[in-house]
Amino acid sequence: MQRDHDASPRDGRAKRGRRGRWLPYILLSPLILFIGALSLYPTILTTVQSFYIVSPLNPPTRFAGLSNFRAVLSDPTIRQSWVNTALYIVIGVVLTTLLGLGMALVLQRRFRWRGAILALVVLPWALPAVVEAVIWGWIYDPTFGVLNSVLKSLGVITHYQVWVGIHRLLSIFFIELVQVWQIAPLAALLILAALQSIPDELYEAARVDGAGRWQQFRRITLPLVRPGLAIAMVQSLILSLNIFDQVYVLNGNAPNGASIMMQTYNVSFVNLNFGQGYALSLMATLATLVLSLLILAAVYRRVEF
Amino acid sequence: MRGYGKAIAVVAVVVWSVFPVYWALNTSFTTTSAAESVPAHFVPLPFTAHNYSTLIGQTGTQGVSYQFTRSFLNATIESGLATILTVATALFAAYAFARLEFRFKRLILFGTLATLMLPAYATLIPLYRIMSSVGLVNTYPGIVLVYSSGFLPLAIWILYNYFASIPRELEEAAFVDGATPVVALLRVIIPVSTPGIAATAIIVFLMGWAQFIFPLVLSSDLSTQPLTVVVAALYGQRIVPFTLLNAIGVLAAALPGIIALALNRYIVQGVMAGSIK
Repeated sequence: MQRDHDASPRDGRAKRGRRGRWLPYILLSPLILFIGALSLYPTILTTVQSFYIVSPLNPPTRFAGLSNFRAVLSDPTIRQSWVNTALYIVIGVVLTTLLGLGMALVLQRRFRWRGAILALVVLPWALPAVVEAVIWGWIYDPTFGVLNSVLKSLGVITHYQVWVGIHRLLSIFFIELVQVWQIAPLAALLILAALQSIPDELYEAARVDGAGRWQQFRRITLPLVRPGLAIAMVQSLILSLNIFDQVYVLNGNAPNGASIMMQTYNVSFVNLNFGQGYALSLMATLATLVLSLLILAAVYRRVEF
Repeated sequence: MRGYGKAIAVVAVVVWSVFPVYWALNTSFTTTSAAESVPAHFVPLPFTAHNYSTLIGQTGTQGVSYQFTRSFLNATIESGLATILTVATALFAAYAFARLEFRFKRLILFGTLATLMLPAYATLIPLYRIMSSVGLVNTYPGIVLVYSSGFLPLAIWILYNYFASIPRELEEAAFVDGATPVVALLRVIIPVSTPGIAATAIIVFLMGWAQFIFPLVLSSDLSTQPLTVVVAALYGQRIVPFTLLNAIGVLAAALPGIIALALNRYIVQGVMAGSIK
């Protein structure tokens, strides 16, 4: 027995024998408990119970087949919230990626105050989304808002406008803009990290070969920054698909700009129809996973130098 | 010419990032009539700190001031406890993943990280029902447990990468002296990992401070409602004037804002370390 242990190449460690073998599991037990009880079990519960009628207003809990899915798929307000969510995603992913790329390109080169400016850029990411929505709600205010004031003095509008609450597309755009303000710094950091991993020699070689700035951007920067872009796009996709805080504050209960997360909340915690809430949750979770994988597959390429 | 272009780009990035915060400060430090002037005033004149004195230093258990101070306290307690619990759990788990060999290691690690992909939808309703069945709705422990389970995967990922970057030779000396892995973790790894642990703790605290939908569902009154839930309710009621609401916003943003500005380097490192792979 003893010889077996000594034969192990893992220096002194194997000698600890029995206790050592259990040690990893002891160290991991809090994690396993947490993840098992509060992440995996709830996920399984969502999946299974989406096929049941679960409502304190309509007991008992009983098997319902696909009826929850049929109900949420035929409900017109919920249908509209899917379309709204698609709009949130498109606006969110496009604006966040472009802004993140822009900010990363500006911050890429060393210059004076760069560290301080980087700190300011990250600021919106650190603040609570609810607080940001309240602050922007005041900026958007139809009677006293600074957005109206600035646009009017620039001559873009002739009267003060209601930005959020009346026109559906405008509402969604301006609510999503608040989220973009928050998450663009994250995209910028991810893209910046990818930019800084590109060796300078590549640009030097390109310059020697006579490539202009645009050519360098197209042929070197863009392809090599793809992994960073992919992660930034997936992040913004997931965050905009899950948009809730900004919608709750700025849109309230109007169906106009309601996102799918908002409807899940309403169905579950206002109507107390947990079964339908589960069905919506499951569909949205699957949509998140599938869309994330699609974007990763489309944009992510392994980069080797 | 190019120098000017770059300067304009830098200024545009700064204005975009900072203007809304400036606007909240501007509104919160002026009177209601000045804040409601058309066209808008870009400097807080007349200047007043009245909104802040209304919020801080009032006694009694009524009104906006009490709602603010109580929910501020709740948010601090909930995020603080969740940070301690998350980092403590993540330290041991990340060390096991980074340094020890055992069966099902990859399975457990990937299983944990896979939960990062799960959106809030997947767990929101069941977590509410689990917490209500064990009587933890509207309690600190209920909220802290839910937060910690959500923050653990990211904390483990950051710490795992940090530990993996520490040369093994550092612990070898301790092992030669007969130390167990736990002693090596406490005496060798944790002391040299302070920046990584600080980054993790800050990120987890900020995530806790920003939580909204889970406490919205899990807290039913002011005994546990954090600031975010109270701010959203006050905004929705449209009774509190915008100057006061912006002052609450500024104070709610102050703690994460100051942390983000002061310890920016750790956050940037943490985000970059956690994401590039």
